[in-house]
Amino acid sequence: MRYNGFSYLIGEGFSNIFKNKKSTIISIMTMICTMFLFGIFFAIGVNVNSVLEQVQLKQGMQVFIWDETTEEQKQKLETEIKALDGVNTVVFKTKQEALDTFKTMMKDKEKFLEAYEGENNIFPASFVVTLTNLEKNTEVQDEIRRIGAKIATEGRNQEVDLQIEESTQHDSIIKEITNSDVVIPTLIKIVKGIRITIGVIFIVLLIISITIISNTIKLTVHARRKEISIMKYVGATNGFIRWPFIIEGIIIGVIAAVITLLIVGLLYDFVIQTVESSEVLQKINITLLGFTEIAKTISIVYAVLGIGIGIIGSTMSMKKYLEV
Amino acid sequence: MIEFKNVSKIYETGTEAVHDATFTIDKGEFAFLVGTSGSGKSTLIKLILKEEEATKGNIIINSKDITFLKAKRIPYLRRSMGVVFQDFRLLPDKTVYENVAFAMYIVKATPKHIRRNVPMVLSLVGLSNKARCYPNELSGGEQQRVALARALVNNPSMIIADEPTGNLDPETAWEIMNLLNEINARGTTVVMATHAKDIVNKMKKRVIQIDKGIIVRDDKKGGY
Repeated sequence: MRYNGFSYLIGEGFSNIFKNKKSTIISIMTMICTMFLFGIFFAIGVNVNSVLEQVQLKQGMQVFIWDETTEEQKQKLETEIKALDGVNTVVFKTKQEALDTFKTMMKDKEKFLEAYEGENNIFPASFVVTLTNLEKNTEVQDEIRRIGAKIATEGRNQEVDLQIEESTQHDSIIKEITNSDVVIPTLIKIVKGIRITIGVIFIVLLIISITIISNTIKLTVHARRKEISIMKYVGATNGFIRWPFIIEGIIIGVIAAVITLLIVGLLYDFVIQTVESSEVLQKINITLLGFTEIAKTISIVYAVLGIGIGIIGSTMSMKKYLEV
Repeated sequence: MIEFKNVSKIYETGTEAVHDATFTIDKGEFAFLVGTSGSGKSTLIKLILKEEEATKGNIIINSKDITFLKAKRIPYLRRSMGVVFQDFRLLPDKTVYENVAFAMYIVKATPKHIRRNVPMVLSLVGLSNKARCYPNELSGGEQQRVALARALVNNPSMIIADEPTGNLDPETAWEIMNLLNEINARGTTVVMATHAKDIVNKMKKRVIQIDKGIIVRDDKKGGY
């Protein structure tokens, strides 16, 4: 390997860190502050996102079927719904279960409902369908209707000769599909709104971070402008002058990232433990992400931020002084 | 070695610092650039270092026309010359040894080469015992000798010195002059801008005098 002096540049980067203790400490502190803010919003962001996803997964529709529907038809309907794009879970709810649900809703008036037990149960059986993507709500509903009609027709063709009474013949095995038409569109809007807000906050924070940090670097570069001009007179190329600064930027970025990661990690765990033990969250059955779950992403984000800002910041802020 | 052909330099402010300068400094020569402050001698030095662009004319250094040299190539031009300034311009957080070695790292010299050359050139300027000192621990004369060592360490074909004795007392100034003379005797071209009359008079070297941007005198063995 040809000796290209790169090890010298790396060494210079390291020794600059120790030679300029004051500005190193200031840079690290500044970076920790901005990264800390960034980390907090990142943690809030991913959690809000995960909660929204959990809420969305609990939303869906109820597909009521006619009592005359055969077991075979039910099974067919279930498998075909499950195969649809955008469907999360499909759960069958028997007539009895429907009645029981109604009973618990009526609690003290249970007696009135006794008349509906067994043969007299007027509550239809249904499939409770939840979605992975709420935006597909209408689409999935249409598909289910189509399937219901298809299954009903298939059945009729076979049973034509059996001369079943007209009145029991339905165009579809599906009686009705209900879902909260108000809730879902609103939920979609809220999710979109929150995601856009988080995105905007992130971009603003990123811009603030880059501005503050490149300003800090500008100060250190300004403090060393004489040094830079001397290097230029002795015949140093811009790359030769820039590399120690870039390496310095990377080192500062990495140190700041590690410290911030520790602080954010400890704080995060503490907050999550406090919040998760609250009753509200337990009641609505929503969980928050543990730090280990977000640690990987946040580390990558910090590494990219630290190194990226180190490189971009030092390159940008040096430009002015390299033109000698 | 250094050739100016009808070179003019007009600054953006409108002042014409150099007007139609034509001269040639040959290999191995020792030439003084003299003139009062503001006469244009600093601009001449800056034009040689390619710190400033000539407005008119051509500048040829080492048989290469540098008038339209690309910014990227400038560092390589500067490596062919050792530069010494009035204010020494040493890196304050590097030792004497590191300051000299730095110039070698720039040209990507091998560590072995560096370990051999730096002590050699430090002994040439008589600073072997100060290798571990920092610039602020040295006298002005010593600092200028470090700068000279730095200028010499890569064996340049010429030394460009801009008022190298300007900040030194007469006795120390002569130390530097003797060193420059010695370097010149070894075949290195020396161009020195100065307004130190007695030095110019005693050295009896070529004198190029500039006044209000115009070269008014060019004596082979002149005085101030």
